[in-house]
Amino acid sequence: MTFDVRYLHLAPFCFEIRTDINKVANNLQQIYGDLFSTTPGVPDYYLTLRSGSGLRKYLRPQARFLADQQEPFKPIDINNGFALLEWGMNWCIATSEMRFVIVHAAVLAKDGKAVLFPAPPGSGKSTLTAWLAFNGWRLLSDEMALLIPGTNQVIPFVRPICLKNQSIDLARNWFPQARFSTVAKNTHKGDVVHLSPPAQSWQQNTEPAQVVAIVFPKYQKVQPLEVTALNQAQAFMALAENAFNFSLAGSEGFHTIVQLVENCQNYEVTYADVAELADFLEQDVLPYAHP
Amino acid sequence: MHIHNLIIQLFLGKVSGPIPLEDWADIVRILRDQQCLARVGWRLQRYGLGSTLPPFVQNHLKNAELIAQKQYHQVQYEAKLLQSLLQPLTQHLLFLKGAAYSLQDNADVGRGRTYSDIDLLVDKQSLPQIERELCLYGFFAEDLDEYDQKYYREWSHEIPPLRHGSRGTLLDVHHNLLPPMTGRAPDIQLFFSHTQQNSAGYTVFSPAAMLLHSAIHLMLSEEIKHGFRDLTDLYLIIEQYQSSEFWQELLELAIQTGFAGELFLALRYNQIILLLPVPEHVLTSLQPYKPGRLRMRLLDFIFMHKLVPQHPAFASSGDTLADFLLLLRGHYLKMPLWLLLKHLGRKAYRQTLSAFFGSSVLDKNTDQHNKK
Repeated sequence: MTFDVRYLHLAPFCFEIRTDINKVANNLQQIYGDLFSTTPGVPDYYLTLRSGSGLRKYLRPQARFLADQQEPFKPIDINNGFALLEWGMNWCIATSEMRFVIVHAAVLAKDGKAVLFPAPPGSGKSTLTAWLAFNGWRLLSDEMALLIPGTNQVIPFVRPICLKNQSIDLARNWFPQARFSTVAKNTHKGDVVHLSPPAQSWQQNTEPAQVVAIVFPKYQKVQPLEVTALNQAQAFMALAENAFNFSLAGSEGFHTIVQLVENCQNYEVTYADVAELADFLEQDVLPYAHP
Repeated sequence: MHIHNLIIQLFLGKVSGPIPLEDWADIVRILRDQQCLARVGWRLQRYGLGSTLPPFVQNHLKNAELIAQKQYHQVQYEAKLLQSLLQPLTQHLLFLKGAAYSLQDNADVGRGRTYSDIDLLVDKQSLPQIERELCLYGFFAEDLDEYDQKYYREWSHEIPPLRHGSRGTLLDVHHNLLPPMTGRAPDIQLFFSHTQQNSAGYTVFSPAAMLLHSAIHLMLSEEIKHGFRDLTDLYLIIEQYQSSEFWQELLELAIQTGFAGELFLALRYNQIILLLPVPEHVLTSLQPYKPGRLRMRLLDFIFMHKLVPQHPAFASSGDTLADFLLLLRGHYLKMPLWLLLKHLGRKAYRQTLSAFFGSSVLDKNTDQHNKK
């Protein structure tokens, strides 16, 4: 089987991509546009997304993800191949890029000031991310915040926003013009769709930003906005729980997170309406932040 | 070939001229797969070349260095725990291979060395108590089918690998260096008299015994995935510890335990590939153990393919043939013929299954269990 070699130029990394699955290639094209091309780069990671072998190919076709010679995940339904590739990219970065402190969080910025949204699945983080990205904020990351150790600086790693279950229809209604991937059905996260952020986020994908606030969002229906200021110890613990490579980053990681919490406004926000949360950020948080 | 040579030159600090970025990308890829990136990074720093490298290379070396550091700290923790748990249960408790390289005080071979499991050597009669104790503290055998269980229990020199339930640490507990059914397993007491304690009280082999064990392991393998890493293990031990006493102890132990042939080969490929200087009298002493002309050519073909910095994406047909010959040789050397046929038959059956039904048909757990 021969595979076309393509390159995915996703600052600050370059991925070499090989796939024999059309649906995966089409999704890559749809989400990443020109960044997915035959223009050679210096690859940091070598990814293959191939259809499974054997008779299964005809009965219940599967997609396999390989990071060079490693296969960290079990094969998945071939229709969900693109989602597997997205998770595979996350896996590569989270297990290899120790020169960053990596926090499981969305990062969005306005006027060069970034807000970190660390949150467990189900907190509505991705819906919030999508809404902000299409309403004047710049997306730096949907899932992984790359922090430069010893600083408040976050390096963009712009990728599509991973929407799950009910938030898929919501986002489709909100942004009918946006670029969506095909649906990956019945994954371990439920139904999943990837949404390409607007052009501005892609165009500025090499411009770092200063983190000025850490906001733990929590979506709850029918409820006015409720803001709780976190003390530094609470914020530290909550953030450390969301750090991918906290133990690997060792004392450097620890100091980075401590310093970040000390220099940021830290809130837990329960919200029902994303616009209301955005107002709070734009009127009560950003104006008082001086990076 | 070109990239192989560049990597060897980097390891030896003999780089002539700048290396284009495309070559660096291949070098990083090969070394990462060889689990050798941090090691070469450390060598380059020692040669004072670290800061002259392109940012792309420095980034990847830094990542690898941090991962290796983390493992270095982790193994100290695991060793402390294992020592306190198992010391009372066995007369001998040794750390082998990768873990030993990390635990040995200031060993060059431990710098930037990464490994996937911790290898222990204990007294055979203590195995049942040790297994029970480890189980109490969260180390469990992985799901094995009946055949594999039986293989380990009856014919192997180790119990099935244990994995810690929460930390994921993999543990291999051995009672000999080779499976007894190979007929090559040494009287392990001979090795037990070549040990040393590090400053924290952990027991490892003396440098000479450590080298011999590495050589045995590499030269009798039926599958070599990290050949360059394993070759450089040997190089680094010799480079740091060689002395007339070291060579004397090494020769005596190798001849006494019946591994002079493996030592001959290990030194030969270090000489040829890494240009390691070996004293004349050592070579002379090992000359009688040199394989015959035809066998020598066959072995050279295999090992000159497998011990250079290899990567499947750059594999030639020669590499594939070398893999196959190595597999045959490894099994032939280690198994009595009747067992070999039985074992290969079993493996062939499983391969046929995967060929027809896809490689995951043999996974016990077929549920989607993907984690991000």
